[in-house]
Amino acid sequence: MARRNEVKLNECKMAVSLSTWVLISNFKLAYNLLRRPDGTFNRHLAEFLDRKVPANANPVDGVFSFDVLIDRGTSLLSRIYRPATAEEPQPNIAELEKPVTAEVVPVIIFFHGGSFAHSSANSATYDTLCRRLVSLCKAVVVSVNYRRAPENRYPCAYDDGWTALKWVNSRPWLQSQKDSKVHIYLAGDSSGGNIAHHVALRAIESGIDVLGNILLNPMFGGQERTESEKRLDGKYCVTLRDRDWYWRAYLPEGEDRDHPACNPFGPNGRSLEGIKFPKSLVVVAGLDLIQDWQLAYVEGLKKAGQEVKLLYMEQATIGFFLLPNSNHFHTVTDEITKFVSSDCIKTIGERIMQCIGALLCVDYVCLFKCFLG
Amino acid sequence: MKRDHNHLQPNPDPSSLRGAPSTGKAKVWDEESAQQDCGMDELLAVLGYKVKTSDMAEVAQKLEQLEEVMCNVQDDGISHLASETVHYNPSDLSTWLESMLSELNPPSTFDPFGAAGTAAAALDDSFLVPAESSTLTTLDFDNINRKHQKSGQQIFEEASCSDYDLKAIPGKAIYSQKTQPQTHDSSSSSTPTNVKSEKRFKSTSGPPSPSDIFPPPPPPAAASYGIPTASTRPVVLVDSQENGIRLVHALMACAEAVQQNNLNLAEALVKQIGFLAISQAGAMRKVATYFAEALARRIYRFYPQNPLDHSFSDVLHMHFYETCPYLKFAHFTANQAILEAFEGKKRVHVIDFSMNQGMQWPALMQALALRVGGPPAFRLTGFGPPSHDNSDHLQEVGCKLAQFAKKIHVEFEYRGFVANSLADLDASMLDLRPSEVEAVAVNSVFELHKLLARPGAIDKVFSVVKQMKPELVTIVEQEANHNGPVFLDRFTESLHFYSTLFDSLEGSVSSQDKVMSEVYLGKQICNVVACEGVDRIERHESLTQWRNRLSTAGFSPVHLGSNAFKQASMLLALFAGGDGYGVEENNGCLMLGWHNRPLITTSAWKLTNKTTAISQ
Repeated sequence: MARRNEVKLNECKMAVSLSTWVLISNFKLAYNLLRRPDGTFNRHLAEFLDRKVPANANPVDGVFSFDVLIDRGTSLLSRIYRPATAEEPQPNIAELEKPVTAEVVPVIIFFHGGSFAHSSANSATYDTLCRRLVSLCKAVVVSVNYRRAPENRYPCAYDDGWTALKWVNSRPWLQSQKDSKVHIYLAGDSSGGNIAHHVALRAIESGIDVLGNILLNPMFGGQERTESEKRLDGKYCVTLRDRDWYWRAYLPEGEDRDHPACNPFGPNGRSLEGIKFPKSLVVVAGLDLIQDWQLAYVEGLKKAGQEVKLLYMEQATIGFFLLPNSNHFHTVTDEITKFVSSDCIKTIGERIMQCIGALLCVDYVCLFKCFLG
Repeated sequence: MKRDHNHLQPNPDPSSLRGAPSTGKAKVWDEESAQQDCGMDELLAVLGYKVKTSDMAEVAQKLEQLEEVMCNVQDDGISHLASETVHYNPSDLSTWLESMLSELNPPSTFDPFGAAGTAAAALDDSFLVPAESSTLTTLDFDNINRKHQKSGQQIFEEASCSDYDLKAIPGKAIYSQKTQPQTHDSSSSSTPTNVKSEKRFKSTSGPPSPSDIFPPPPPPAAASYGIPTASTRPVVLVDSQENGIRLVHALMACAEAVQQNNLNLAEALVKQIGFLAISQAGAMRKVATYFAEALARRIYRFYPQNPLDHSFSDVLHMHFYETCPYLKFAHFTANQAILEAFEGKKRVHVIDFSMNQGMQWPALMQALALRVGGPPAFRLTGFGPPSHDNSDHLQEVGCKLAQFAKKIHVEFEYRGFVANSLADLDASMLDLRPSEVEAVAVNSVFELHKLLARPGAIDKVFSVVKQMKPELVTIVEQEANHNGPVFLDRFTESLHFYSTLFDSLEGSVSSQDKVMSEVYLGKQICNVVACEGVDRIERHESLTQWRNRLSTAGFSPVHLGSNAFKQASMLLALFAGGDGYGVEENNGCLMLGWHNRPLITTSAWKLTNKTTAISQ
C-alpha cells in the first residue's frame, strides 16, 4: 500500500515545480478533511482554512478591487477588479463605478473553481488570478461569489451566474465607448468553467451577447468511466472518488452524472446546432483525469458547428495556472489575451480602417446637423 | 484574510507589497530564484501561505507523510482531524502540517477530552489543544445538527451556555434579580472598592483648533508606528452607487471643502446633503444624515459634549449589544482565548479595561464553572469612566456579577476602578499577586484606540500591562484606519466603514434597537469627523497597525483556533441578516465582517519576554 502511494506521489512531484506541488497537495489534504463520507461538508473548517484577502480600493500593481452586493436575497457578492489608469493612479474611493473610458473594454465574468464546494471569490488564489487577468487583458474582471454545494445544489450556481451576467450587462459604467455595449466574456476554472458554459447557454435568446467563453480545466463528467479517468485516478492529486463526491454534492439528489449539468453533450444533453453560442477557448491539462470529458465537450461544440479552440497542455496538472512558474502558465495567458482582444483591433491595417470609418461617420452626422439647423 | 502583504512576513516590509507580477517580467519558473522577502517563498505568499523557501522541501515531506498516514488509516481515523482537532493559523503551513502529524502519531493515545499539556503550551503556536475541554460549550454541533435537526437556538440552550440567553436590561436593573445591598461573605466576594484616581486629567481644555491635520503622536524610540504602512482599503458597495452617487459626491465635496477651510462652500454643501439624503432609503439616508451632522458641527464649531451622560451611553451600548453581533462576537472570541489561557490555573484574575455593564463575564464564569476539574477562584478588576450622577455603577456591576458567581458556585472577587483614562492606571493600584499564584488576563474591547488621542498614553498603558505579567492580553478593535493624518481620508474611510455597519443593522428586527444602535454609532461618527486633538478618541486603526504597535511594545501573537472560529460562525447565524455576516481567520486573529468587508478584529497576545517585564 505504501509503495503504491510512493509511486503516485513521486510521479506527481516530478511533473510540477516544488511550490506548485506543495500548493496543490495542500489543497488536496485540506479538501480530504472537509468531505465527509455521508455527503456533508465541513463548511466551518473550510472557511477557516481558506486563505482570503479583502478587496482593495488602493491599486496594487495597477489593479484595484471592490466588492459589490449584486443580489441581497441570495447575498450574492461579486468582486470587481479594474485597472488603475495613468490619469488616475489612485482612484477616488467614492468613484469606484466610474465609467470605463477605452474604446473597447473586455469585461470578464469569472467563476472561481473548487468543484462547486470549495473556495470563494475572495480566496487568495482566485484574487491573485483575477488580478493577473486584468493586467493581461486590460479588462475589467467580475468574480462571482456563487453559492456552493452541498448546501446549495444545482441550479444555484448557474442562477447566480445568470444574475451576475444580467447585472454586468446592465451597468452603464461598463459599456465600451465604441458601441455603448458591455463586451462580456465568461471565464472559469474547474466548476467555474462548467458554470461559464451553462450561463452562456442561458444567455442564448436572451438578447445578452456573450463574446466568448474561456474554460480552464472545466469540470465535466458522465456515468461512464473513461480511459483517462481509469489511467490517471489518484495520480495527480485528484481521485475519481472525490470527483464522484462533488457531483453527488452538486447535482440534484437522485440524479446521476449523465445529468446535463455534468454531461452537456451526453444522453440528456442539448444539441447546440444552429444556435448562436459564443466562441470558446478550452484549456485541458494532460495530467487531469477528467480530460476525456473535456475533450468530448470540445468535440460536442465542434460537431454543432461552434467555434472552439482547444489548448491541450500535455504535461500540465490541475491548478497549473495558479502559479506563474511554468511554460504552461504563460502559453495559456498569452492565448487568453489574444482570445479576448481579438474583438478589439486585430491588425494595424484594420485599426486604420476603423478610424477612417469613425471619422466618416462623424462627418456625416455633422453635415446632417448643419442641414437641419 | 490577507491584508497588505506585510503581515505575512515576520518583519513587515513595505517594499514587499506586491500583487500580480507584471506581464513584462521574464518567464521565471524556478521558484528558488524568485525574490525572497525574509526568505519567504513569494509565489505562495501571494496565495496566503507563509513558507520559507528553505523549508519548502521539508513542507513537501510533511505533506507526503500526511498523505501516507491518511492512506493507511481508516476513514474514521482521520475524521477526528476535521471534527475534533483544533487548527491554528493555516498560513503557517509547516506548523499546521506538523500539528496534524503529531495528532496522528500515535493515534492510539489520542484522547480528545484529556487535559493534555499546560496552559503555557497551549499558547505555543505549534501545540495542539484537545478541543472540547477548552471550548465554551462541550458539544459537537455537527453531530447534534445531524442527529436531532434542532435549530441553533435550541442547541445553545442545551449546552446551557447562558450567554445567549442573557437578556440585558438597560439601566440599573441589569439582571432580572432585584439589587439589594449585600453583606459579602468571604466565600463569594470581597467588598468592591472604588479608588478614585488622584491623577485625573483636566477636562477638555477648550475647543480644539480648527486645523484639519492633527500631527501624529511623536514616535517612540523603536519604531515609527504612528504612520500607518501603505494600507488596504476594503470596500463593499451594498447599494448600487448609481442611486446614492450624488449624495456620496456631495458628502465628499463637503469634506474636501472643510479640509480646505472653504467654510462657505462647505456650508452650502451640507444643506444640499440634507436634501439629497431625504431621497434615499434605508441605511444610506441615515449614514448620510449622521455624517452631514458631524460635518455641520465641524463647520459651525458646535462640538459634541464629551464625555456623555453615562446612563444614556449605557442604554445605547446595551441596544447595540442586542441588535447586532459585534459585541457578542468580541466577548465570545476573547473569552475563548482567555479560557484556553487559564487552563489548569487554580486562581485567575481578569483585568477588564472595558467593563461597561460587565456583559462579557457571565459567559466566561459559566465556562470556568463547567470546566473539567472545577472552576478556579475568579477575580475581576474592572475599569470605567466616572459617571455624572455620582452613582457608583462599577460597584453595582460588581454586585450583580457577585450574585451570579454565587449561583454558579464560583469563588469571586471584584474591584472597580474609576478613571478618566486608562493611562491613569498604575500597576501598584491593582494588588497583583505573584504569577505563579494567580494567572492574569487583560481584556480590552474597543478601548485601546482612545488612548491614541494623547501622546504617550498607549505606551504607558502597554508598559503597565507588561507589569501585570499577563498570561494573555485580548484586544478587540474596529478594523479600519480612521486615524490617518489627512481629514478627507479619514472621512472617506469612515463613510465606507459606517455605511457597511449601518447596512448590517438594517436587517435587525426591532426598530427600537435599531435606532438606538444607530445613535450609538452616530456618536462615533461625530467624534471621527467633528473632533480633533484630545477630544477625537475614535482613533480606529487596522490590525496591521495594531500588530506593529504591539510587537514593538514587546508582545507576541497568540493564535485563536478553528474551535473559536466555528462557534463564532454559529453565533452569527443566530442573528437576523445572518447570511451577510462572516468570520475570517487572519494569521491567528479572527475578524467579523459584513459581506466580506471586515469590521472588527479579535486578537490575543502574550509577553514576548516575561523576564524583562519588570524592567519596563
